[in-house]
Amino acid sequence: MIYLITAFYPEAKAFIDYFGLKKLYEPSKFQIFSGDKILLIVSGEGILQAAIATTFALTKFGANDKCIALNIGICGAKKKSLSKGDVLLCNKIINHYSKRTFYPDILITHQMKEVSLETFPFPIKKDTFTDEIEGDIVDMEGAGFFEAALSFLAPHNVHCIKIVYDFLDYEKIEPQEVTNLVKQCIPFIENFINTLVDMNLVFCTNIIEEEKIREVVEKLKSSLRLTTSMTYQLEKLLKSYIIRHENLPENISEFFNINVNSKKEGKQYFEKLKKILIS
Amino acid sequence: MKNLKKSLLAKHFSHIYIEREIISHPITKIILDKFPNSVIVEIDNYKEVFSRPRQNYKLQEISKKLILAKKKGEFLYPGPPLCHDFGYNHFYYTSLIFNCIFSCDYCFLKGMYSSANIVIFVNIEDYFKEIDSVLKRHPLYLSVSYDTDIMALEKIVPFFSMFIEYTTSRKDLTIEIRTKTADYEVLQSLRPSENIILAWTLSPQEIIEKFEHKTPSLSARLETIKKAIENGWKVRLCFDPILFTKNWKEIYLKFLDQVFKQIEPFKITDISIGVFRIPKDYLKRMKKVFVNEITLFPYEEENGIFTYPDELKKEIMEFFLSKLIQFIPESKIFTI
Ligand code: SF4
Repeated sequence: MIYLITAFYPEAKAFIDYFGLKKLYEPSKFQIFSGDKILLIVSGEGILQAAIATTFALTKFGANDKCIALNIGICGAKKKSLSKGDVLLCNKIINHYSKRTFYPDILITHQMKEVSLETFPFPIKKDTFTDEIEGDIVDMEGAGFFEAALSFLAPHNVHCIKIVYDFLDYEKIEPQEVTNLVKQCIPFIENFINTLVDMNLVFCTNIIEEEKIREVVEKLKSSLRLTTSMTYQLEKLLKSYIIRHENLPENISEFFNINVNSKKEGKQYFEKLKKILIS
Repeated sequence: MKNLKKSLLAKHFSHIYIEREIISHPITKIILDKFPNSVIVEIDNYKEVFSRPRQNYKLQEISKKLILAKKKGEFLYPGPPLCHDFGYNHFYYTSLIFNCIFSCDYCFLKGMYSSANIVIFVNIEDYFKEIDSVLKRHPLYLSVSYDTDIMALEKIVPFFSMFIEYTTSRKDLTIEIRTKTADYEVLQSLRPSENIILAWTLSPQEIIEKFEHKTPSLSARLETIKKAIENGWKVRLCFDPILFTKNWKEIYLKFLDQVFKQIEPFKITDISIGVFRIPKDYLKRMKKVFVNEITLFPYEEENGIFTYPDELKKEIMEFFLSKLIQFIPESKIFTI
């Protein structure tokens, strides 16, 4: 599942249209939209809201090794070299309030600029904010989202993608303009998501046929009357044999039709089988 | 999803994380000059990146990042019981780098660290200071390529050559540098010294292909060893770990023949041999990430160490030793 977390509806709107997402009527305070393997949640403004919405989504709809969570939205830029509409991947996310810092694992190539993001608990305007801003860009959600998502997912599957809206001097946010800016950036974001999905698929697939092993274990368990600990051992031995020889030993079927009469007899056969499997 | 495009995985060291404190250290500068296109990310402490929760070691191996840090606290550690001490009383190891550019399936680093990224502690001068102070008390036998392969990393950070130069002028210090590299260029401008042992880990080509990913071939390693010996370097051979795998007897037999056809046995300083063994906790962690022949084997535990069942271990060691002594006197062989 790909989880998209946006702060505002105008940001979400671009994805809803592009991916054809449908509103999900889940009892919660959040607006949720879903589509083919995508779930979008609108968190509302602020670090805490982002953390709650992320936690809610990942708890309610599940998180596994291959799930991806992205916080996408507009930001203010401190860096002069950035332009309005630039789509940015954050390689460092600073929580201004707690001073905690987070680092996504960037294992794939992408076409976005990389920056550091600093998340503030209040809006930042350069003429009124006198402290040092550490990040290249600022927002009000990133760090909350990141810390929450990291409790469920690996750091290579959690990312903040931000789009420059202003230079810490905005007066009013124009919803239509926000939607348009996000829309323009979707090709970059989609490409990034696809690459992540591919990487997770290719590199996290288990190579052992668990089904096949379970079947053999079940057969041997009853024919040799194996104890729980012997069954566990057998499973390990079979996996190890298969990975060395790419198959089961030829003579294993001989053990399928034995019907042992005592524990002692079962143990003898088990030892014999063990010898074959450690070879 | 629409427009599925295959993009690429990021290159190794696409990102370099640097502790703010050592941003202008000369070693940092040397390293950064080699990666002009990498993204630099400033950090406060290397653990923020290296010790993140839920990192995927396996995935990180396909795109390793560099983390440059300053080592604090201890610089030398007593040699672990799983390693040979070669008869030295004061056997220590030191860790200038965590992790390696190679990727051996059996490497204990995969169970020791939660990240595959490479940490380089740039403040080598502090290590030298600490070694100097220990040398005032007693001689020292030091393994300097313990959590990594520093010779293989020489082109990224020149610690190997710096250590060689430093050790040459300290007669009470003996260093062992363990490696799988085949890059002779690294040695070319350096002078050998009596108290420096270059220890090459050798494995049969079949084992290299199956388990020692990205390492140089056996013949390339042998070529380099030959040149090193000819040029006066003391060379130790490490047949460690010997692995149990399909047709292991044939494989190791052919291997010994190949090794000693190229290397004159009497020119070798000594040899160490041992079967695969690993601390229990490390194996447990490796199993969670890697499903392969090494992690899946049903090892037996002895004092917190997993290794082959007794009978098998004995069979492997006896077999290997009996063949090895046909080439080299037993007095030169260290067994663990
Ligand atoms: S060369 Fe040594 S340190 Fe590097 S991965 Fe292989 S076993 Fe580990």
